Amino acid sequence: MIGTTTGAAGSARAQQGGGSKRARRAGRSRTRDFRYTKKGWLYSGPAVLIFGAFVIIPTFYTFYMSLWNWNVLNPSLSVYKGLGNYRELLTASDPGFLQTLWNSLYFTGAMVIAGTAISLCLALLLQRGGTTMNASRVAIYLPNATPLIATSLIWAWIYNPQFGLANWVLHSLHLPTSPWVEGQATSMPAVILFSLWHEVGFTTIIFLGGLTIINDEYSEAARVDGAGPWQEFWHIIWPQLRPVTSFVVVITTILSLQSFTQFYQLSGGGPNNATTTLSYLVYEESQVLQNTGYAAALAVVLFLITVFFSLVRWRTTPDIGITS
Amino acid sequence: MHSRYRRAAAIASAAVATVLATAACAGGGSSSSSASPSASANAAAISKPVTISFDEVYSSGTLKTALQSAVTAFEKANPKITVDLTTYASYGPLLTAETAQVAAGKAPTIGQAYESWAEKFASSKVIVPISSLPGASSTMSTDLSTFYTGVQNDLKLPDGQVWMWPFDKSLQVLFYNADLLKADGITSTPATWTQFAADLKSASKNGVVGITIDPGNATEGVTSGEEWLEELAASNGTPVYTSNGTPQFTSPAVVSAMEYLVNLKKEGALATGSNYPGETALGAKKGLVDLSSSAGYYYEQQSVGGKFPLTTTVLPAGSTGSVDEMAGANLVVFASATTEQKAAAWKFLQYLSGPVEQAAWSAATGYYPVTSQALTEPSMASYLKQNPWVTSTITELNNAIVDPPYAWVTQCGIDLSTAISAALSGTSASSALSTAQSACTTAKSNG
Repeated sequence: MIGTTTGAAGSARAQQGGGSKRARRAGRSRTRDFRYTKKGWLYSGPAVLIFGAFVIIPTFYTFYMSLWNWNVLNPSLSVYKGLGNYRELLTASDPGFLQTLWNSLYFTGAMVIAGTAISLCLALLLQRGGTTMNASRVAIYLPNATPLIATSLIWAWIYNPQFGLANWVLHSLHLPTSPWVEGQATSMPAVILFSLWHEVGFTTIIFLGGLTIINDEYSEAARVDGAGPWQEFWHIIWPQLRPVTSFVVVITTILSLQSFTQFYQLSGGGPNNATTTLSYLVYEESQVLQNTGYAAALAVVLFLITVFFSLVRWRTTPDIGITS
Repeated sequence: MHSRYRRAAAIASAAVATVLATAACAGGGSSSSSASPSASANAAAISKPVTISFDEVYSSGTLKTALQSAVTAFEKANPKITVDLTTYASYGPLLTAETAQVAAGKAPTIGQAYESWAEKFASSKVIVPISSLPGASSTMSTDLSTFYTGVQNDLKLPDGQVWMWPFDKSLQVLFYNADLLKADGITSTPATWTQFAADLKSASKNGVVGITIDPGNATEGVTSGEEWLEELAASNGTPVYTSNGTPQFTSPAVVSAMEYLVNLKKEGALATGSNYPGETALGAKKGLVDLSSSAGYYYEQQSVGGKFPLTTTVLPAGSTGSVDEMAGANLVVFASATTEQKAAAWKFLQYLSGPVEQAAWSAATGYYPVTSQALTEPSMASYLKQNPWVTSTITELNNAIVDPPYAWVTQCGIDLSTAISAALSGTSASSALSTAQSACTTAKSNG
């Protein structure tokens, strides 16, 4: 009954639009598509409302605030600045916007390159199966299942230059110790090391999933033709994993750009702003300094960068499994 | 169908606009309930039950139990007033919470606030002057006069009005490992910063680093490392800020103070860390001394755990004398409170700052009492006997330095912390401070 009603509505609309074939097809399509029925709207309504209240409206509100010298305590005292906050992005110092952008890209690049390589290697290793490897799957994924804030706290102690486990191990092996997050040159690598430990479990599982759906016949044929393990990987397995790899690269990029917790807890953006990323700077400007308008402008820039990478993923990543 | 969709779109747009408008209005909601300076003193008499909320950071140890005891005693003495405590882990989350509550139109009655926060709150019209509280106008001056001079001055904002009320104040002191002092042949604690540096260098061997500091960052807020730089500079003759908040980070005194820290690092006598690293190093017998707040006394004792005797002293002197920095957030009353709540808040503020509670609070926590009248209270006697350094240092509250009450000083403090990190990482002291000066000047001009 509902379908008939909607179908009639669809037909009516098609007639209003001149009765083109396309419109009629759309009308017939909606007859079958539950999402366009009243019940469909009813079912999706709560989710849409929640998404709207917590994502869509705040996003537009952030755009709006970025045009003001926003007084979060008393918005009636806010002063309109137009694009002033965006201009200040380019002239700000200590830390400068470009420095924090570079820090974000440094972290993101390292996470994408090292994270993808390590998780692919681990997935290939785990794919072999066996008791040890099956147990290792759990061990590798476990860090990702732990709360980031809790593990960051533990790693802060591991990295403690005076009493930490990391330097104790290095010292025991007669290797030079490191200031870790206390050193300007070592702080970002230290945060990256922790982040890799925490994140590769997730991407390894994705690669493992990809490996289970690739076509083994090509590999068997290659082995029959005398291909070695490396040739088999490079010419047979790797090309089939392209959509999975593309997904991992893009999702790691987006998540890395938005990373905050480890920078907050491990390094506090320091020393000397060496680990102040765009996400951390948004926190600092909005929560610590209450420069809400400026922070909103930073958030908008971060949003646009993330949208860019999302679009890249949308345009470049075919559905996983299509090629197999 | 077209019109139906247009109507739906219009309704959706209206809903978005309404939510945006509501959000905007909610942000300013608290300011609509303005101060009531004309409230009569008669309103101070609490005639019906009233609950006041208090946002604070005393989340652990003796701080927590001492505050709860204070509230219990106050409620017993004022049966119609209930104090609802909301505790935050540190000052960062406290500021976030206070800001969010004000923006949502649900501010607490009383909250802790640093001077720079109070200035922002006051300029945003979300707190009220203390004199406007019902009952305060007649008694405030008398109460105020009992406080140490430095404490009195710390309660005023640039407009000259008293916007804050004191509860706990601290000074920085030095906690030494007495065993290490003895082992290094140091018979008396240093009287000058020069001698202090020599002692640190002499003690830094066999895994011991003389002192470990936290330079600070945006996450941690003001730390002892950043305060130390300010004290060194002031004891060299030039504080890092003028009284109107103008930074003078590039002055010779400040550069000299920074070079002092850099030289200690180069000599292996200074290490850096986070989350009270000096306290940890001292407790682990890996540090000769920790520079920390007097309010950290019980935490230092806990860290040491009886492994060695702790010697507590005042700060050494620089070329122009000894300068200490007073710390400890003040209390503010939010404008959205009802008249009854404001009257109750004034009673609570008076109680907390009175000699009886100040004595109990100080003896329990290590904070200095804000009034000298507390020193003669019975509950203070045994504490003073055990800690003679309190009596010998407390008059510093009369002339200790304090960061000027301007909103931009928060940004400038982070800039100074960054400068310390940069200088200790190899950037020249003058260059690091020049960068901080530039950033702070910009922050000041932006207000």
